[in-house]
Amino acid sequence: MADAKKPRAPFAPWDRRELPGLFSVEESARRVGAYKWCELKLFEALGGWIATVPELDVKMRLGAHCYKHAWHAELWHKRLPELREMNPDRLSVAPNEDMVSFIAALTEPEAPELTIEKLVGVYRVFIPHFISAYTFHLNNTSDITDAPTMRSLRFILQDEFEDWRDGEMLIQSLIETPAEVDRAAAHQARLEKILLAAGGITGSGTIGFNSPKHEGVMA
Amino acid sequence: MRKFFPVEDLARDERFNQITMNDRMADQRTAITTDSRPSRAANRIVPSRGDASDAARGLMHGIFVGEIQALEGAGRTCWDFTTGEEAPFELKLDMARQCWDEARHVEISIKLSDWMGSEIGEYAENTVLFQAACSNDPVLRLAGVNRALEGLAIDVFTTMKEFGEVAGDQYLEFAEDWMLADEVTHVKMGSDWLRKITENDPERRKKALDFQSVVDKLFSYGGTRSESQESPIGLARRFRELAGFDDQEIDVIADLSLAALEERKAAVLEAQAAHN
Ligand SMILES: [Fe+2]
Ligand SMILES: [Fe+2]
Repeated sequence: MADAKKPRAPFAPWDRRELPGLFSVEESARRVGAYKWCELKLFEALGGWIATVPELDVKMRLGAHCYKHAWHAELWHKRLPELREMNPDRLSVAPNEDMVSFIAALTEPEAPELTIEKLVGVYRVFIPHFISAYTFHLNNTSDITDAPTMRSLRFILQDEFEDWRDGEMLIQSLIETPAEVDRAAAHQARLEKILLAAGGITGSGTIGFNSPKHEGVMA
Repeated sequence: MRKFFPVEDLARDERFNQITMNDRMADQRTAITTDSRPSRAANRIVPSRGDASDAARGLMHGIFVGEIQALEGAGRTCWDFTTGEEAPFELKLDMARQCWDEARHVEISIKLSDWMGSEIGEYAENTVLFQAACSNDPVLRLAGVNRALEGLAIDVFTTMKEFGEVAGDQYLEFAEDWMLADEVTHVKMGSDWLRKITENDPERRKKALDFQSVVDKLFSYGGTRSESQESPIGLARRFRELAGFDDQEIDVIADLSLAALEERKAAVLEAQAAHN
């Protein structure tokens, strides 16, 4: 039987968690606020599009995914006060004006023939950027001090991967001609250029690099 | 994408045929039949009714298209209003949750329609549910859709669940019971938000409740749903209580429905007398 009085190391030999992390409380809160804003914009758009897509399977998928992103927004909303932001709305903002332009361009398509564009914007552009931003946060924050954020990040990332796969398969099933391949690629490129200027979900430095615009490379 | 989406633009593939409320009432195959001869004392959808299978299939298709519109309406409420200013963040979270639930209901309805031997588009689609979701006040949407129409959905699912029970159709009974659980949640969302948002705004509350009774009345047309066995669909008092309706509110709907039934019977008698 174990000796109840015998001292044990507080960190087991296999426990590699470390201090400090890359983010201060303020920086973590700023990022979380941007996540919330982006997830909110995404679930609003998915909800709005449901009535505009004629494909029944896509219609139903959008409904399921709309809820998942709303849940992510809710998790981030609840995390903000724990990061000393008692007025969550103050930080629930776009990281910059380019991100606002990105959302405007993302949500532009409405006609029933534009399902490919709607899906490309979400599943080939926005969601991959969420995956990058969340992964960067997960890999760089302190797994001791910021463990509650990491727990949410892991749940959310699982959703993002699953939704990305769902969306990508829908896109592949909708694209039937070389012209449609071009359409999808052109729309993706247009949106990516705006996100490049924005620097990603949380602005310049989303995944550790400054965006070219912020280094003066882009006009 | 526009804010506020007109009902005529609802996106559908070529299988769907959209019609008005009056067109639907004239479709002889639906559960909500115009055949209301006074001799037919029991219209309730039960297995012993001669045209039970057809009526149940028609009703199932109505549920299916209703679920699509409920999904679309909840989605539009996420999009149409500015978060925090026109609609609270938490209300939108509820609407997003409803989107997921309604998407599952569409899936369930398709499986059930298959099971019952009907096809997508076999019956026409009445788009009145989405119309109730087009109000420019989110509280009116919640009153018209969540309280009136989804209240009706509670009645419909309870009737269909009982139909499954009596017919020994466990597949139907199982599916309806699960949808019923979700609908009670949605009606409760409507009841809770109506009370919360209009707490200090009696005028807005009155407007919302008036809109709800307009929608309730529209769907009581012809006494389709009432506590009388002459109506195809019953009134599910217990589940409505769970969803936040008080006794008085349920009594009002019961009276309204019975009056509508009597109105239709009188109209049918009148038409027959004129014909003879
Ligand atoms: Fe439903
Ligand atoms: Fe519902």
